[in-house]
Amino acid sequence: MSNDWRSCDGYREALAAATPADSMASVSRRGLLVGLGMGAVGWLAANPTLAQIAVRPGSRNQRVLVVVFLRGGMDGLNVVVPKEDAYYRLRPSLGLKGKSLLPLDDFYSFNAKLAPLLPIYRDGRLALIHAVGSNDHSHSHFEAMSAMEHGLPQAGSGTASGWLARHLESTRADTSNPLRAVALGSTMPDSLRGASQAIAIESVADYRLTADDPEFRKTLGDLYGNGKDPYTEAGHATLEVLDTLNRLNPAAYRPSVRYPKTDVANALQQVAFLIKANIGVEVAALDKGGWDTHVAEAQWLDANLDDLAQSLAAFYTDLGGETARTTVVVQTEFGRRAAENSGLGTDHGRGSVMFMLGGEVRGGKVYGEWPGLEPNQLEDPGDLRVTTDYRRPLAEALRHCGNPNPSAVFPGFVEQPLGLL
Amino acid sequence: MAAGAASLAGCSRMVNEVARRELPTDLRLPPNPEPTARLLGRVGFGPRPGELSEVAAIGPGTWVHQQLAPDASDDPALMLQLAQFEALSEDAAELRDDPDWNVTQQLSAAAILRATYSRWPLRERMVDLWTNHFNIYADKARGAFRKPTDDLKVIRTHALGTFPEMLAASAKSPAMLTYLDNQLNDRRHPNENYARELMELHTLGVHGGYTQRDVMNVARCFTGWTVENRFLRPRGTFRFDADQHDDGEKLVLGHVITSGGGVSDGEEVLAILGAHPSTARFIASKLTRTFLGKTEGPWVDRLANIYLQTKGDIPSMLEPLLTSDDLVNGEPIPKRPFDFLVSALRVTGAATDGIGVQAYLDRMGQPLFSWPMPDGYPDRAAAWTGSMLGRWNFAHDLTHGAAPGAGVNASELLASTHADPARAAVIVVLSRPTGSDDPVLETLRSSKGDANGLLALALSSPEFQYR
Repeated sequence: MSNDWRSCDGYREALAAATPADSMASVSRRGLLVGLGMGAVGWLAANPTLAQIAVRPGSRNQRVLVVVFLRGGMDGLNVVVPKEDAYYRLRPSLGLKGKSLLPLDDFYSFNAKLAPLLPIYRDGRLALIHAVGSNDHSHSHFEAMSAMEHGLPQAGSGTASGWLARHLESTRADTSNPLRAVALGSTMPDSLRGASQAIAIESVADYRLTADDPEFRKTLGDLYGNGKDPYTEAGHATLEVLDTLNRLNPAAYRPSVRYPKTDVANALQQVAFLIKANIGVEVAALDKGGWDTHVAEAQWLDANLDDLAQSLAAFYTDLGGETARTTVVVQTEFGRRAAENSGLGTDHGRGSVMFMLGGEVRGGKVYGEWPGLEPNQLEDPGDLRVTTDYRRPLAEALRHCGNPNPSAVFPGFVEQPLGLL
Repeated sequence: MAAGAASLAGCSRMVNEVARRELPTDLRLPPNPEPTARLLGRVGFGPRPGELSEVAAIGPGTWVHQQLAPDASDDPALMLQLAQFEALSEDAAELRDDPDWNVTQQLSAAAILRATYSRWPLRERMVDLWTNHFNIYADKARGAFRKPTDDLKVIRTHALGTFPEMLAASAKSPAMLTYLDNQLNDRRHPNENYARELMELHTLGVHGGYTQRDVMNVARCFTGWTVENRFLRPRGTFRFDADQHDDGEKLVLGHVITSGGGVSDGEEVLAILGAHPSTARFIASKLTRTFLGKTEGPWVDRLANIYLQTKGDIPSMLEPLLTSDDLVNGEPIPKRPFDFLVSALRVTGAATDGIGVQAYLDRMGQPLFSWPMPDGYPDRAAAWTGSMLGRWNFAHDLTHGAAPGAGVNASELLASTHADPARAAVIVVLSRPTGSDDPVLETLRSSKGDANGLLALALSSPEFQYR
């Protein structure tokens, strides 16, 4: 998953896998009720093995932060579209109009591909933050991603650990839990670098030993019993997670709704499983690649937004009552140049859009100061200015999730809540 | 060899049968085997059955000197296996009609087979290092079909040559030009992608003393460096497009690049970077990280000086490092998944087609040629803590006949040590004589495992995750 950071070629699978039948209707209020009934409660009751698992003290009310990182630089201007003449002057071909827009308020409209998220927005559980970003002016994916994943204003300021790792460190609630944080993918993202109670899992259902031999498992426990080197500690944690997941029997689990058959949907489905299982997961991190739309943007952005919106909507419905303790943050390393380029795409820019959704989010609103698209309002070389530091929403989410001092996670940062939670 | 390749293409099973290597019948350890084992693990990918005795017999210094100057010979069975892969013999344009996955699979198989069976493990260690240093992502912009040429002409040709020559080859490699978007770098719209990574990741290092202005001017120097795609021209080769080149004067790292230089602008930049003291330090720190597991210390200064004295001659830097006691006395170095997989295949004398085992590299998080970012696969243990389950499952499947296209003869292997099975597993996998207080030996003894199970557990042990 985390490796799927393709510039363009990866979209073919996304296009092929997109299921047009999963329209708004399936994520309606009726769907939400089904989700409540069958998803959370029904599955727990129907799964007797769960009764044998000791729920970790306090974990039932543990709030969960889910971070979705859109790699490649999402074009915020064509995701949450402003009603401005300058927008159409800058984007004579790529500018969205008519049926390609779903009005959110007097000024902003959704890209119509985000239709599956509209009910959640109208219900006040999805907030959007526009013109958000970091202070990184490099226009480099790697610098900009590094800045955000390390929780810094710009890259290279010397902090080695990830912001989510520092969050876990500063809220050390339950030191015996090996699964406080999970990365859905085969390698650990930078945001969780340095976290001792985090593990990368590609597939929860496939997370088991191929050796059908209790003796093998037991001897691994002896081999990895003590030792402070990184692989011994990782092995020890892996065995604990294996035991936990094996008891939960994820292979038998069925979600309460139909998810699209895409990587990000698959990852979210697994996060939903872990949240419902109530085993003390506090943080989940996952990626969706393919936002680097230098050429033929409309085609790629449509497919990507379609997938993202359907997947998030399915996740939200699937969580049912668990949405009350879940906050999802969707972020990207930068937005794109305000003017379209000669290849019907857009180049690396600055300000973009962040999403926050969850049962306690004060949504139904586009947050942030709109910087404008007139020539004197843009920033060199023609980018949407960043008016909201990306750490402001993140700090609010951290405080909401029980972190008493988010400023310690973001060095030098002073909290200025937007009122998102 | 070419005709042989064609006739063998259809019978890979037979080739892999022929390629089954005989195990030595006596696998008793030579005296004091541990420094030799560490030497083999650090210089290459760990010992193959019997290799500890061979290296002990000729002396570690002689072995290192042989490794620094490989000749054209190699393991005949390996050459037979490699001859099956058309991706290794054809040029990039010919591969364009193949599915990307097929090309990447062949190239990955070749990398696994060479690291496992070649007579020249140091060269394969260096290929692994430079492949990540000059990373190419096979899934971006159809990089898959350009990478085989890059692998041969940039990485393998210069792996033990000079760094500036490898750098110059990389800059004109169509795989690199397209991976870092330089085909979009023209005088009207300079694209900074290659210029930035060239300095940040290939030469000077991020703190190597360049500015944003240098990035922009280096980008201008490389305008017009693109890939041939005109009709009836050698498609997919390097092309300098003078019409797209910015021929004005540029200032790069304090050097004036005079106007009207054409293609020599970029070549001059490469020469400046290749001779820069920051590059010397950056490459020196990469080498100490690869062979000593650390980026600091006196070896960085020493190797950087050799770099500057020898114009970046790689064997001249490696010779003192690889013959030093520091090499075998240092802290354990964590293995990446590729390192783990290859060392497991080597130490068990496994037979493999190099293809079936690739699924295990996927599950451990290191499918080859598939790291999207230009910094290459991480080498910190912290990035790979999610790979433990994949390692254990590979260890188990390999030793229990459950890994596709790979297998070991566990009972024969262990019997050749003339020790009891648990002790034999420690001798074979960890290359150490087993005292009665060896904790791994005690654990294996209590495991009730048979030969396959003991071997799987030894490969799964924390000790085997380091070199």
